Amino acid sequence: MNFLSKLLRYGSIAAAIFGLVAIILVSRTQAERQMPPAGDPPVSPPAKPYPQAVAATGILEALSENVAIGVPLSGLVSEVTVKVNDVVKKDQVLFKLDHRDLQADFLSTQAQQEIHRAQITVNQAQLAKLQSQLARLTAVTDTRAVSQDDLENRQQDVLVAQAQLTAARAQLTASEISLQRITLLIERLTIRAPRDGSIIQVNVRAGEFAATSPKNPAILLGDTEKLQVRADIDEQNAARIRQGQPAYGYLKGDPKITFPLTFIRIEPYVIPKTSLTGASTERVDTRVLQVIYSLTRPTDPPLYVGQQVDVFIEAPDRIKTP
Amino acid sequence: MSRVAPLLDLVTLWPLPSTFLSYMIGLALKMLFGDTAKYLMLVAGLFFATFLIVQQASVFCGLMRWTTATLKNVAAPIYVVEERVDQVNETNPMRDTDVARIRSISAVRWAMPLYSGIQRVRLGDGSFKTVQLIGIDAASLAGAPGRMIEGNLEDLRLPNTVVIDELATERLSSNPKDPSTKIKIGDQFEINDVEARVVGICQAMRSFTGGPYIWTTYERALSYTPSSRKMLSAVIAAPIAGMTPDQAAAQIERETGLRAYVNQDFGANPRDIATPKGNKYGDFNTSTVWWYVKNTGIPISFGTTVVIGFIVGIAIACQTFYAFVLDNLKHLGALKAMGMSNFRLSIMLIVQAVTVGLIGFGLGLLATAGFANGAIANGQPPFYMPWQIPVAAFFAIQLICMLAALMGIIRLSLYEPAMVFRA
Repeated sequence: MNFLSKLLRYGSIAAAIFGLVAIILVSRTQAERQMPPAGDPPVSPPAKPYPQAVAATGILEALSENVAIGVPLSGLVSEVTVKVNDVVKKDQVLFKLDHRDLQADFLSTQAQQEIHRAQITVNQAQLAKLQSQLARLTAVTDTRAVSQDDLENRQQDVLVAQAQLTAARAQLTASEISLQRITLLIERLTIRAPRDGSIIQVNVRAGEFAATSPKNPAILLGDTEKLQVRADIDEQNAARIRQGQPAYGYLKGDPKITFPLTFIRIEPYVIPKTSLTGASTERVDTRVLQVIYSLTRPTDPPLYVGQQVDVFIEAPDRIKTP
Repeated sequence: MSRVAPLLDLVTLWPLPSTFLSYMIGLALKMLFGDTAKYLMLVAGLFFATFLIVQQASVFCGLMRWTTATLKNVAAPIYVVEERVDQVNETNPMRDTDVARIRSISAVRWAMPLYSGIQRVRLGDGSFKTVQLIGIDAASLAGAPGRMIEGNLEDLRLPNTVVIDELATERLSSNPKDPSTKIKIGDQFEINDVEARVVGICQAMRSFTGGPYIWTTYERALSYTPSSRKMLSAVIAAPIAGMTPDQAAAQIERETGLRAYVNQDFGANPRDIATPKGNKYGDFNTSTVWWYVKNTGIPISFGTTVVIGFIVGIAIACQTFYAFVLDNLKHLGALKAMGMSNFRLSIMLIVQAVTVGLIGFGLGLLATAGFANGAIANGQPPFYMPWQIPVAAFFAIQLICMLAALMGIIRLSLYEPAMVFRA
C-alpha cells in the first residue's frame, strides 16, 4: 500500500515533467511542419528595367505588319513555289492556281485565229480574181463589146471583196487580242509577292482549294529581319503613355531573354482587348491602347513572329509617391 | 494522532528559522501526499481542466489556420484581390489586364497571376472528389509549392501536367486504405473531363474544405475550369528591395483601387483600420480568420468547451481542496494552537495548491501532447498550438488553484485553535 502511494506520488511528478518536455517537442515538430515563408519564385521574374514603368503584354509581328496573301479567284492550287523562311523579291512567283479552263479557251481561240487567217487568204484570192476580171473588162477598148451595166457590177464586186478582206483582217486582230486577254487571265492566276520579304507561313499545298475569303491566309509574308512588338496597355494606364518612351521586352516563358525596343508609334484608336494571355474565350470587358515598338532580330536566341512578350515602358507614375 | 508526531519535531526545531521554510514545505507536501486518494482527485480535476483548455483551444486554432491554408501553400508576400474580398477562400475574379496594372506600380518588384478555385476530379472508377486547384504563372512558377517530395517542379511546363500534395496521393487513389494504389508520378486523372498527368508530389497544408491541393499553370487551370467572363482570382506580388510589403500594399491600393493584403501571419497589422461596416485588416490571414469567426459558429462551440473546462476545473479543484483542508483541519489547528501564524499556515496551503496545479498541468500537457502527435502524424483533426495557449492555460490553472487555496485559507483563519482540544 505504501509502495503504491509512493509510486503514484513520484510517478505523477515524473509524468508531469515528461508532459512539459513532450509539449515542447510537439511545438517543435509543429514548427517544422509549417510551410516555408514566402520567398522568391523558383525562376526569378524579370527585374524591372525602370523604377517607374507601365507593364503591358505584347505580341511579336513582322515589321510593317504581316501581309496575308489572298487569291483573285477561288480555285485549286496547282503549284507552290516557295517554302517557309524563303526570302522573296517583289514579283517573285509564290504559287499558281489551276488554269486549265483558260488554257482550253486559249487553244480554241488559237484555232479561231487560224480560221481567220485562212479567211483572209480566201478573201484575198477572191479579191484578186475579181480584180483580174475587172481588169480584163476595162482592157477592152470597144465600148460596144462590154455593157456599161456589166462593168459597173464588176467594179462593185471588187469593192465588196475589199471590204470583206478588211473585215476578215479585223476578225484576226480580234482573235489576237482575245488571246492576249486569256494570257493575262492565266497570268493573274499566278500569285506573286507584292513586295520584298520572307515567307512566314504557308497554308496551301498543291491540290488544295484556295478560297477568296479563307480562315487562314494562303501565305503570310512579312519582313522578319526587323520585328515589331504590338503592346496592349490597359486603358487605365493609357494616360501615362507618351510618344517616344523607351521600353524593354521580355520573352514570355523565359524572362532572362530581354531586348531593348525602339518606339515607332501609338495606334490612335483604342480597341477592345483580344486576349493574348491564355484566356479560353475572348473577353471584351476592357479596352486597350496599342503601342508599336520595333526591334532588330537577335541571332541568339532566335525570336519568332507571334511570340508573346512582356513589355515594360518607362513612364512616370500618375500619382506622385509621397 | 500519529500524524501529529512530525509536527512536534518541527516545534522542537522552532528556533532555527533558516531551515524552517524547508521544513514547512516538507510538512505541507507530506500532508498533501499523505492521502493518495484525495491527491489523485485534486490532480485529476486539474488534469482534465488543462487538457480541455489546451486541446480544445489548439484544435480551434488549427481549424482557423486551415482556413488560411491557401495563403501558406501559395507563399507570396502580397495578395492583390478585388476591392470587396475579405477572405482567401471566396474571391471575386478580376480582369486579366489587372496583372499589368499591378506590375506598372513602382513599388512592385514582380506580380504574377493566380487562379484558385474548387474543382471536381473524376477518378478511374468514375467517382468524384473535390480538389483545390491552384494555377500559377508558367514562366516564373511564382506561387509554386514550397516543399517538393518527389518529381520536378519544372515539369509543370509540359502539356497537361499537375503537381499534387501528399493528401491527394491517398484521396484520389482507387482504394485509400491500400497504400499500393496511391497516386504516383505518371498517373493520370481527369479534372472537369480534361486529362491531368501527375509530375510531382509536394507537401502542403490541408485546406478547410478538406480537398487536396493541386498545382498547375495559370493557362491550364483556366482550361480545366468552366469558362466565365473573368477568371483571375488574385495577383501575387512582391515589394521592391528596401520597401516592406505593407508599404507596397498601401501603394497598390492607392493607385489601383484594388485590395492589397500582406501575407504574414495572424496578428495586428499597421494597416488595420476600423470602419463603420467593420474592421478592415491589412493581413490576409487575419482578415480570413476574422471572417470565419464572425460568419460561422466555430468559435462559439470551441469557446464553450474551453469555458466549461475552466469551470469544471474550478469546481472539482475547489471542492476537493476544501474537503482536503477540512480533513486536515485538526492538524492545522494544532499547529495554530502551537503558535504558528495564519500567514505561515496560508503559505503551506498555497504551496500545496501550487504543487497540485503544476502536476495536474503537466499531466494535462502530456495528454495533449499525445493527442497532438496523433493529429500531426495523421493530418487530422486540425491541431495548431501557439505558445500563448499553454502559457495562458498555466495561468488559468494556477488561478483555479489560488481560488481553491483561498477558500481553505478563509476556512482556516476562522478556525479557533481551542477547537482541537475540544473533541
